[in-house]
Amino acid sequence: MQYTVRDLMVPLSEYATVSVGSTLAEAVSALEKVQEDYEHAQYKHRAVLVLDSRQQVVGKLSQLDFLRSLEPQDEAIERIKDISKFGFSSKSIALQQERYHQKRPPSRDIFTRASKLKVEDFMQTPSEGEYVNEEMSLHTAVHQLITGRHLSLLVTREQKIVGVLRMSDVFAAAFHVMQEVKDTE
Amino acid sequence: MKAIERLLDRIIQRTNINLRELGYDVSPLVRKLIPPSQMTKFYAFYGISPYHALNLQFKHCNLSGSYFLGKCSVTNSLLYKSDIRGDELKKKADVFRYQDLEIQVDEDEEIEIEDSFLIKTLVHNFSHDPETLEKFFIRDTIASHYANIHGSPSDGCFLGPFATADLTTIRDCLVGTFSYIQAGEVSHLKIDPGTVWVRSSDTFNFLYRHPLERLNSYIHFTAGSTPGGIFIDFLEDRKKDFQKVFDVLKLEPSVPVPSSASLDRFAVIKPRTRIGENVLVSQRAYLQNAWLGKGVNAQEQSYIVNSRLEGNDITAHGAKIIEADLEKDVFVGFNSFLRGRPRSRLTIGKESIIMPHTIIDIRRPLTIPPGHLVWGLVTDERDLKGNSIALKEFARVDTRFSMGDMIFEGSGTEFVKAFQERIHHILEANGAFFNGRSKKGHAQQNQNISFNTIQPYPHGEKEGLYPTIIIRP
Repeated sequence: MQYTVRDLMVPLSEYATVSVGSTLAEAVSALEKVQEDYEHAQYKHRAVLVLDSRQQVVGKLSQLDFLRSLEPQDEAIERIKDISKFGFSSKSIALQQERYHQKRPPSRDIFTRASKLKVEDFMQTPSEGEYVNEEMSLHTAVHQLITGRHLSLLVTREQKIVGVLRMSDVFAAAFHVMQEVKDTE
Repeated sequence: MKAIERLLDRIIQRTNINLRELGYDVSPLVRKLIPPSQMTKFYAFYGISPYHALNLQFKHCNLSGSYFLGKCSVTNSLLYKSDIRGDELKKKADVFRYQDLEIQVDEDEEIEIEDSFLIKTLVHNFSHDPETLEKFFIRDTIASHYANIHGSPSDGCFLGPFATADLTTIRDCLVGTFSYIQAGEVSHLKIDPGTVWVRSSDTFNFLYRHPLERLNSYIHFTAGSTPGGIFIDFLEDRKKDFQKVFDVLKLEPSVPVPSSASLDRFAVIKPRTRIGENVLVSQRAYLQNAWLGKGVNAQEQSYIVNSRLEGNDITAHGAKIIEADLEKDVFVGFNSFLRGRPRSRLTIGKESIIMPHTIIDIRRPLTIPPGHLVWGLVTDERDLKGNSIALKEFARVDTRFSMGDMIFEGSGTEFVKAFQERIHHILEANGAFFNGRSKKGHAQQNQNISFNTIQPYPHGEKEGLYPTIIIRP
């Protein structure tokens, strides 16, 4: 079967979305809700799209972005992060971080604090290579996912975003074709 | 004065173009640092001696109060009270060793300064970059007060006040106030103020970052103002002594100088100073009640006040030693600031290494035991404990080690060895081991340098610019 992007995408209406100005807690709730609504889906939703007042997609929040909100944000941790540019090994940096956390054990407060943070402070603005037209083939989508190392692409119809193409769905389709080819041989 | 302003605009633009990736605009920092009227006040001067090359070329530049020695060309640049010392440049047919390679030098090395603005900056040593053995270049670079560009070709960089680039090729980098880097080759890096970074690829990596809130009281620099803090106050208090030295045409040494020692005519010597054999005192050094034993050296912009240095002690460029007693073979790195008090003296045990850009500022007596490595900011015993280690202990580190704000990775043995070898080389180059016949160094070769002065256009369209000048034997 010759898949197109349209065949594999999750329509925007089935995707978790929040508006600019929402908190991370609201974004998590939106994610939980689509999870419940589309329980039957083989793969779980892992990201939330952020919409502006004109309902245009302006950003995407991945699981990694949520986790970033739990990272301490102070001068000491910034200085530790800065060590990498001096050519120290990951192990040395990890040891510095461990020392930092031993001095300041994380408390439940960081979760309370993170839940109140705004989505726009953590979302990723889609780059040029993150858009794919719904008419494109599976191969083009695979190429874009690989070169951009993206977990999903935003699917466009003319100027509008109409869905999300997830790597998990592309993988499933590719696997399906592979099986078909194997069976016909 | 418009010619100087146009030149400054050109240099700022070129530096900014190089730093655009870092999103840095040097203009607010440097535009008003030195009023153009200051740049016509002071003569420039150069040294002549039978031991040094003489090959100078100046074109479309201002050289106010700057000093030149050796082979050097300056084009489209502003040099304000800077020292360009070409007495360690490589010579034709020298062999430069880099890793497993032995590379022959094709022609005498030259310090080549283009489109740059150097303020009270020291340029010394030679290019350690195997890609540019014959040119020690400084291009599109601005270096602020008391920066050191030591064996470090530089292209498109900004060095803040008291910053040091040492044996490192730097390209498109921002080296923050009071930062020291010795890392071989770096590019497109923003080094925050107070960083001390010593890296030898695949061998060791040392990093210390001064706590900024404490460092600020010693040195701070923000856009629109000149650098300020204890360092600057200390220098300003002694500025008048230098004016006297530069105003007088002929100046005899005010203290006895042994025949094996060198006391630069542009150093300040205050009463009760004693100069031992094989001592080197460079220009713009300041000695007051300083007892210098055999083989001690006081390099450019170093200050030794009410202190005793027993012998073979190195006071590197810009280091200050006040109310202190140093046993033999102590190394005090670039721009370090060591200040005891009259009744709370600082004692440093023999063969200790005070890392470049270290601050020791005490109000109670403090003793650093022999053979120790000290770094960072030390104001009392507690700080010393967290910012020092016996060299023998440090040499045992073979993976990684951290202490307070210092982190180290690699071989401690190699780190200690590299420092000790370098200290030996500095003493050798400075003539500390001269035995009356051989092992001559700067202390013996810099004794009879004559100084000639050169001046800019005093008025008119080219006011402040020096005419094109070529000086050769």
